[in-house]
Amino acid sequence: MLTVQALESGYGAMQVLWHPELEIEKGSITSLLGPNGAGKSTLLETILGSVRPWGGQVLYENRDITFLSSHRKVEMGLALVPEGKHLFPNMTVYENLLMGAYLKKAYEHREESLDIVYTLFPRLKERSRQMAGLLSGGEQQMTTIGRALMTKPRLMMLDEPSQGLAPKLAAEVFETIEKLKSDIGLTILLVEQNADASLGAADYAYIMHEGKIKASGTPDEIKASREIREAFLGV
Amino acid sequence: MKNRLRPYYPLLPVFAAYLVLFLVGRNVTGMWQLAATLVFYCALGQAFNIFLGMTGYVDFGYVAFLGIGTYGMATAITGLAGYPQLGLGIVAIGFILAIVMATLLSMAVGAVALRLRGAYFAIATIGVNEGFRYLIEGANLWNGSSGMIFTAQLNEILGRDLSSRIMTFWADVMVLFIAAAAAVVTLLYMKSKIGYALTALREDEDAAKVMGINVTKYKIIAFITSASFAGTVGAASWALKTPYVFPPEVFEIHYTIEAIIIVMLGGAGTMLGPVVGALIYGISKYYLSIFLPGFQLFIFALVIIFIIVMFPEGVVGVIKGKTRNTAIAPYIM
Repeated sequence: MLTVQALESGYGAMQVLWHPELEIEKGSITSLLGPNGAGKSTLLETILGSVRPWGGQVLYENRDITFLSSHRKVEMGLALVPEGKHLFPNMTVYENLLMGAYLKKAYEHREESLDIVYTLFPRLKERSRQMAGLLSGGEQQMTTIGRALMTKPRLMMLDEPSQGLAPKLAAEVFETIEKLKSDIGLTILLVEQNADASLGAADYAYIMHEGKIKASGTPDEIKASREIREAFLGV
Repeated sequence: MKNRLRPYYPLLPVFAAYLVLFLVGRNVTGMWQLAATLVFYCALGQAFNIFLGMTGYVDFGYVAFLGIGTYGMATAITGLAGYPQLGLGIVAIGFILAIVMATLLSMAVGAVALRLRGAYFAIATIGVNEGFRYLIEGANLWNGSSGMIFTAQLNEILGRDLSSRIMTFWADVMVLFIAAAAAVVTLLYMKSKIGYALTALREDEDAAKVMGINVTKYKIIAFITSASFAGTVGAASWALKTPYVFPPEVFEIHYTIEAIIIVMLGGAGTMLGPVVGALIYGISKYYLSIFLPGFQLFIFALVIIFIIVMFPEGVVGVIKGKTRNTAIAPYIM
């Protein structure tokens, strides 16, 4: 569904991505692991286009989308849940969700999307009139995921969705991600620090280090390889 | 039927304020100049709010758009002085030229500066204003630093009576209409997709981007709209009211600061805010300069610090919060 080839990007003069290669199967959860500063977030943002690619290729459903602007990519069904709950704090939960349905096609399907979000997160329905800035950490994360769902994505990229959450809430986030795959049929690219939980949910995993993909395999293969675990995951 | 007009209720207090200003200025002896100054501040705030209020970006070079608008009107009047048969048509052409020139300048500035965010944008725009002023002086555009005086041409075109009526009365009325038009455009933007996009961008630009909002496009729309209104304010309030233009006067950064104060004081991104801000600022500036001459700027600094600490959302922002779910809520936006 998504193929990344020899991608390059960075900030100013500093190159962060050094030709990572990635292949994401339709309907799967792909986990992207690696230490801090490996370039995981930059990779997601470069795929979406909020960080401009310098070179290389991103193929999405067999179309070259490398240099399209990010709003075009969102229109085509790519969604990113950015790191650190980027909500609109002075809007209600409902308004935040509705902002997700900003684009024309998403807006036409806003009622059914809203149903999906409220079924997935009944808590958000109770909280729909509340200002997003007043939600608890877990509820905020639900809202960002819900808002991304409102864009009617086919591929959702999540950047550290369990960050800063209590263990119980983090576990709920991973359950949610599995439901996104099984109930809604989304393809997921998941960036996480929490290697164990992330591998538990994933169908396939890539290990990133210093802007490159250093290893890949099924979660069992990754877990079985002591070398990989010690070198890159510290577990 | 009643509900279809409801979205336009927020215009009522704005228009009411303008009407009161007009009537007081017209009917109370000696008040026209104060009313005209307040109307200028309202127009300045209302125009600036379309950009500052709706995007959250602070443009420190905003006065350049008023300046270029002034030059637009000046160019039309001096250039077409040989065709007095065009009459008021020349003033209309002057407004069109003011809008076109302000739009072009804002596109040039926006193309570069709007790629920057937050403080970087603010700093970059300070340079625009000064740079443009020195370009006019250095390259001797529009007579460079000697400026343009076109009272005689205005008299020639419109006749002495009409042109003095324009300078003393109609120019201010035009500014009033510009302020009202800016309020209408603000409301239309707020009620449309543009408004939602800009609200999202103001609240969290990164989040707006991942919603598929073309943030650059909407920033540029707001910037150009705001700049072209500024151009007409310059054309009416500066070129027509006082038919001369000197670069140091029309590129005076002081006006930008006043615009920022007015918008922040009243409530950035609200409809009524710039009006309230303009009235508070204009009236207190006027009376402070009478009762405490020399101290008005110092006192202002204190007042502004106080307001920013106590009401970061501005006066109207606070009123809006307090009146939520009450009968007057539909009128406050």
